[in-house]
Amino acid sequence: MPGDARVEEPYRLTPQLALRIAILGTVVLGAFAILFLRLWSLQVLAGPKYLHAAQNNQLRTVRVQAPRGAIVDRDGDVLVGTTAGYSVQLWPADLPTEGRYQLLRRLSARLGVPVGWMAKQIAKRKNDPLTPVVVKRGIHQDQVRYLYERQAEFPGVRVAQSYLREYPNQALAAHVLGHVGEASKRQLERNPRLAPGDEVGQGGIEAVYDEVLRGRAGGARLRVDSLGRPRSDIVLSDQPHAGYALRLTIDTDLQRAAEQALRFGIAAAHRNKQWYANGGTIVALDPRNGQVLAMASNPTYKPSVYVGRKDAKKLLPLLSEKHARAENFPAVNRAIQGVYAPGSTFKPVTALAAMEQHLIGPYDPLPCTPTYIRYKQPFNNWDPYRNEPMTLATALARSCDTYFYELGYRFYKLPPEYGHPLQDWAARMGFGQRTGIDVGTEESGLLPTPEWRRARYRGKDFSELDRIWKPGYSIQMAIGQGELQVTPMQMTRFYALLANGGKLVTPHLVLQAEQPGDNGAPAIVRQTFTPPAPKPTGIDPAALRVVQQGMLLATHYPLGTAAGVFDSFPVAIAGKTGTAEKWSHEHRRLLDQAWWCGYGPFDNPEIAVCAVIENGGHGGDAAAPAALKVFEEYFGRRGGPIAQTESD
Amino acid sequence: MIAVNYAATRAPDSRARAAAGAGVLGLLRRLDWILLAALAAVVAYGLWAISGITRYAIPGDSDYFVLRQAVFVTAGVAGLVGALLVDPALYRRYKRPIYLGTTGLMLLVILVAGATRGSRRWIDVGFFQFQPSEFGKLFFVLALAGFLADRGKRVTDSRTVFEAVGLGFVPILLVFVQPDFGTALVYAAALAAVLFVACARWLHLAVLAAVAVVGAAAILWFLPAAGIQVLKPYQADRLTAFADPGRDPGGTTYNVNQSITAVGAGGLRGRGVDGATQTNLAYLPEHATDFAFASLAEQRGFAGVGILLCLYLLVLWRGIRIVSVARDAFCAIVAGAIVFALLFQIFVNVGMTMGIAPITGIPLPFVSVGGSSMISNLLAMGVLQAIHARGRGNARRS
Repeated sequence: MPGDARVEEPYRLTPQLALRIAILGTVVLGAFAILFLRLWSLQVLAGPKYLHAAQNNQLRTVRVQAPRGAIVDRDGDVLVGTTAGYSVQLWPADLPTEGRYQLLRRLSARLGVPVGWMAKQIAKRKNDPLTPVVVKRGIHQDQVRYLYERQAEFPGVRVAQSYLREYPNQALAAHVLGHVGEASKRQLERNPRLAPGDEVGQGGIEAVYDEVLRGRAGGARLRVDSLGRPRSDIVLSDQPHAGYALRLTIDTDLQRAAEQALRFGIAAAHRNKQWYANGGTIVALDPRNGQVLAMASNPTYKPSVYVGRKDAKKLLPLLSEKHARAENFPAVNRAIQGVYAPGSTFKPVTALAAMEQHLIGPYDPLPCTPTYIRYKQPFNNWDPYRNEPMTLATALARSCDTYFYELGYRFYKLPPEYGHPLQDWAARMGFGQRTGIDVGTEESGLLPTPEWRRARYRGKDFSELDRIWKPGYSIQMAIGQGELQVTPMQMTRFYALLANGGKLVTPHLVLQAEQPGDNGAPAIVRQTFTPPAPKPTGIDPAALRVVQQGMLLATHYPLGTAAGVFDSFPVAIAGKTGTAEKWSHEHRRLLDQAWWCGYGPFDNPEIAVCAVIENGGHGGDAAAPAALKVFEEYFGRRGGPIAQTESD
Repeated sequence: MIAVNYAATRAPDSRARAAAGAGVLGLLRRLDWILLAALAAVVAYGLWAISGITRYAIPGDSDYFVLRQAVFVTAGVAGLVGALLVDPALYRRYKRPIYLGTTGLMLLVILVAGATRGSRRWIDVGFFQFQPSEFGKLFFVLALAGFLADRGKRVTDSRTVFEAVGLGFVPILLVFVQPDFGTALVYAAALAAVLFVACARWLHLAVLAAVAVVGAAAILWFLPAAGIQVLKPYQADRLTAFADPGRDPGGTTYNVNQSITAVGAGGLRGRGVDGATQTNLAYLPEHATDFAFASLAEQRGFAGVGILLCLYLLVLWRGIRIVSVARDAFCAIVAGAIVFALLFQIFVNVGMTMGIAPITGIPLPFVSVGGSSMISNLLAMGVLQAIHARGRGNARRS
């Protein structure tokens, strides 16, 4: 029945089918041959290579931070230490995907860290699950216990040991020390040895000597699974090297005294009804070598606000312009970052320059009058009752303005080929330039010259009248007013120069780097930091002696402007008061900046001190008593009761 | 005589039942015992492999997957015995309900199954997730074989070939849109095998092969270039990634690179269960299912997977032999398609773990964890045994 498909012929194995079965068999054999060959090449021929790859797959190196070196004062007292503390870390790979938000909420409630911040940090680590997010450093012991007890409720949250900066003296020398913080993006780019999450110095000594203090981070290995979750204990593979300790020139006791003296000076100003007094700075140098014995700035802050549990409220005055203004800029180190008109403390510069230029002889008398008139313009003396001839030493002691107005005028009248020697001498004594101190950003101040004036008042906003150097500028500069600006550090260096016989020192804060000895063994000095040697300025010693004499008179001669403060002090101190007028935009009036600079003992000077009390009134009332407190601490002697003296 | 046979199966009366009873004993004697032994060895070896691969999968319950798998094996063996008892001619007779049922089930999957891993392959039935496309493979082959066997010599007509391809295309498309690209490929391979063993003309086969090549090229390159995405991007990436394993090692080729590393790291003797870090630390993805072979290769080495491949070879050899002893064209086609589909799955799965085949998500027969795959493959082996038991060589002997 051909044609009916449903009725088949008796089935038999056709040659066609047999061929196809053979082909099928060949295909099977071919496929298996391919598989076996590939298997052989992978497992036997290239086996070791893949074994190595598999082993590397699972090993990760994690960074082990080195403890940061301590900062100690010249006697070895600890200013900044390092303690082991606890920090809370989030390991993104271990966090559950479901209920992650709830977990972060609970953690946030416990630690006070915003959920949004944590979520953002986790998102950032998406491609790097082995670098934990440090949620909080320096958590409290109670919280450590809480988290340990409830580890099951907080998967992916770990409590880890970390090193924390510790400040046993609280705010002491905050501006000198600076603080430590997580390396910024720019710092990471600039320093290839840093890794994200590393802590580096962010100001002061911590920043400048960061390389010395930080040490070298080590490495540890651990096994991880494909999601980066640790699956073994951490095994140290590369020992971290602790940072070296730094020994400073600062003396803790003197530093504390200087900071207390500032508060005392501000309080003294308030007692004198100088209600706007709200800040200041005191610098103490060893005039022989430029070592900074104390450097205080007020208002100040506690560096510990940058450590561990950060409190945004406490950080605001340090970070936000608005809040900083309200608290009078506590982050500014006024000793090197504050610029002030020096007022009468600048008069020794004028005196030395005038003698060097032979504009006046040391014993030539000039009239000290209540008013000095040039080009029909009156310049007033601060003391309207004085009307007598004075020599240079007496003029310094009494701080006679009119005497120095005349010297300023004589500088102005010098023929053009002389240039401007007052500014030249001031520059030689370190003004208008950075002192080169080994810490922080430093202001250079301003030493105005005719050339500077021409460049400064360029353009169509100013007229030619603004650009020319008028006699008043020279007259004002002679008493440290006008556009002249100095930093207290520059001024202290100048008084150190007066004390050490005319040599310009480079102030510095760090003596040496030390490696702490094991088990109480003495520390090994690893590096000594020596500043440039004091630089002779070529000032005539005779002229210098006249100025020194004038400043000794200022503190001991009955009419001396600071005699009431220093006369009764058992050690002979020489120094100069200053009262610089400054327009206060805030209070819309001229306010007096109180200055006192000087040194002692007079015969063999060991310490030079400058004190500035902002808006503190007269130098003899606010700054000189504050400076006396520093000398009292340094010499371990007390002065007598402070008598009221008239001063500028 | 054929008519008598048909009558016997069509209307089972008491006489036929007696014959069937005698037949059970007869069947046992006429089984392919070598195939059965090889199969038992593969299944046992697979269980042993899974016990190593999944030892650390669930902390504290190292035997979870093996016990589950053993349950599936038991069910599969029951299925095998059941399939053995059924005369294959029955499938041929009910090819239409089989075909419609299979197609309908796949439609059902698409309609009701919950979304799992972005695809809808499963119907959740409590104890395990029933995956109709796995079982469909067998029914698909049975229905198509029935269709072609009925056409007899007209199989050489291009119209018959065209109809067969059209019939096959519907379930392939349904599986493809689930989406289960790998299983769709297995279906296509089975369709090709059915036509091949049914002795379609070489010319037709060549045309079909050409169409397949052009189609694949269109799906992978031309249509996407024209803005039409047939495959989901991850599917296309996986398919083309194996040709260039160095590309994007963190992304598309991550799986295949980790898999090659696992296979290679196994070496000659393997790293053992505890030392197999690629598996234990989960660098190797899906190591209990799709990448079970790589995991086994890492743990047991060349020696271990070599044994498995040899056992597979033995099974395939006996399968091919059954094609040649089949009673009729239908049985030959079914046996041929089952054998070829099995080969295809083994080759693509094993090849994928070694970077010589695209990653398609085809499980490794008798080894990969999964009930549907295990049971359906054992069922297919049961059909193979049934064909052997009723085959010509045995008929002569009896």
